[in-house]
Amino acid sequence: MNLSYRVAYVFFRNLVSYKRFVVPTFLVSLIEPLFYLITFGIGMGAYMGYFGGKPYLYFLVPGVVVSSVMLSSTFECLYGTFVKIVHEKLYDSLIATPVSAEDAVAGDIAWASFRGLVSGSLMIIVAVFMGIFPVSMLSLLLLLVLMIFVGILFASLAMIITSFAPSFDFFNYYTELIITPMLFFSGVFFPLDRFPPWMKTLSQFMPLTHAVKISRAVFSGSINSGLAINFLVIFVLEVIAFAIGLKTMKRRLIK
Amino acid sequence: MNAIVIARDLVKRYGTLTAVDGISFEIQKGECFGFLGPNGAGKTTTIKMIHCVSPVTSGTLIVNGLPAHIDNRAIKMLTGVIPQEITLDVDLTVRENLAVFANFFDISKRDAKKRIAELLKFVELEEKRDRKIDELSTGMKRRLLVARALLNHPKLIVADEPTTGLDPQAKHLIWQRLRQLKTEGATLILTTQYMEEAQQLCDRIVIMHRGKILKQGVPTQLVAEEIGREVVEIRIGQDEDEKIIGHLSAMSCGHERVGDTLYFYCRDGHDLMKKLVELNLPSYLSRPATLEDVFLKLTGRGLIE
Repeated sequence: MNLSYRVAYVFFRNLVSYKRFVVPTFLVSLIEPLFYLITFGIGMGAYMGYFGGKPYLYFLVPGVVVSSVMLSSTFECLYGTFVKIVHEKLYDSLIATPVSAEDAVAGDIAWASFRGLVSGSLMIIVAVFMGIFPVSMLSLLLLLVLMIFVGILFASLAMIITSFAPSFDFFNYYTELIITPMLFFSGVFFPLDRFPPWMKTLSQFMPLTHAVKISRAVFSGSINSGLAINFLVIFVLEVIAFAIGLKTMKRRLIK
Repeated sequence: MNAIVIARDLVKRYGTLTAVDGISFEIQKGECFGFLGPNGAGKTTTIKMIHCVSPVTSGTLIVNGLPAHIDNRAIKMLTGVIPQEITLDVDLTVRENLAVFANFFDISKRDAKKRIAELLKFVELEEKRDRKIDELSTGMKRRLLVARALLNHPKLIVADEPTTGLDPQAKHLIWQRLRQLKTEGATLILTTQYMEEAQQLCDRIVIMHRGKILKQGVPTQLVAEEIGREVVEIRIGQDEDEKIIGHLSAMSCGHERVGDTLYFYCRDGHDLMKKLVELNLPSYLSRPATLEDVFLKLTGRGLIE
């Protein structure tokens, strides 16, 4: 593996190009959480009563925050990276400079994770306007750190998919068969307690489940040592996915 | 030792396909060295190995005293690449394209600013510096690719079919700039399918076909050795061949039949032309031999003698 500080240059390239898309992407990143928070939070929440002594929105927000990180970092490394590699052939010229293929791919993963962080933060801002706050500044800070880890994880997983995707259409399998089910089986919208045992087991295999669990505990300030396992799952999976993503993408770039 | 690139028994395989099949060559500092060949000859693959974006399957390849390898950043640092495809960053403006690339070469912001201004002038794109890439013509895009390749003051410039799809004005501007770079001391490696381009720019060329080098040498000498000085083309049906060849056998010219045309390759075509006037054939012409004739002879059909 041939990584260097040039990862930052690739990140910077994405930042420069991004400034033209800031307004539209911010709007999308804002509308999506509003949609979830209003439909589920306010609409459905009205029937849900209180969860552990607090309104449903307190249950919903921490889950929606990490799932928005998942969605935006996933999409960035699927569509964003695919366009740069296949359509624009941008990376072909990039790897002819001292920037290595690994730098380029890691730069994109870092960028996607940053996009995730932006989406998740916007979600928190929207929640704050709705009167839902994380319990303390420390809890907010920990949430931001968590978002970075979650972003790198899902960006790396998406990078693996992109490394062998023949076309855009292929991404539908991943988003429809993996990402969307994950959104509903990871305890984002409702607790997993009443799932039959096999579904509970299944949900443990979904990385988002672990992210949601940590996020919810951090948000409400009920951090306990049991969360170490959840974090370990995310971290180990992330390291593996990152290494595989770099390797398979390099294979696509260098022939 | 004055060679900047040394290749020995260089091989590149993609799965079962052998793209480059054991070629050896040396490129001297300060020369323009051209790879000619039809599509799929292995030219692009060869130069991709030279500028370290494609791994070598076997053989040795030394660039500026270092072994070429995809992770050899030192070679990439001193190389400028003008790619065959237009790989500009369409999300960025002309100036941003250069600024981002300058960054990749660790060029400081202040130096980059100065260098970018110089280069935009060099390729005559100063007026377009804040334009987006979609707003440029193909010629402008190619000129920007040239500027981008020069950001790091490369010792070695690799140009892969740099004038594909350009009108004559744009093509000549790029040729002038490439010649200028050579006079400033850079080594130029060029691939092309345009024989005129090779004749205009290259000190030495190799002609590649199916992964092998068929011939190498100085363009004018290759033409003289392989073809002669003149080519006479006779547009006539194949059934007349025997008769005409019989009439012209005394002229010691090589001949070849391609499609509707019978070609004669001569040191001196005067006598042959006189004879053709006597024969009163309907359609023929005599012209100087070019690199294209060499190319077609070597990569197309063999000379029948």
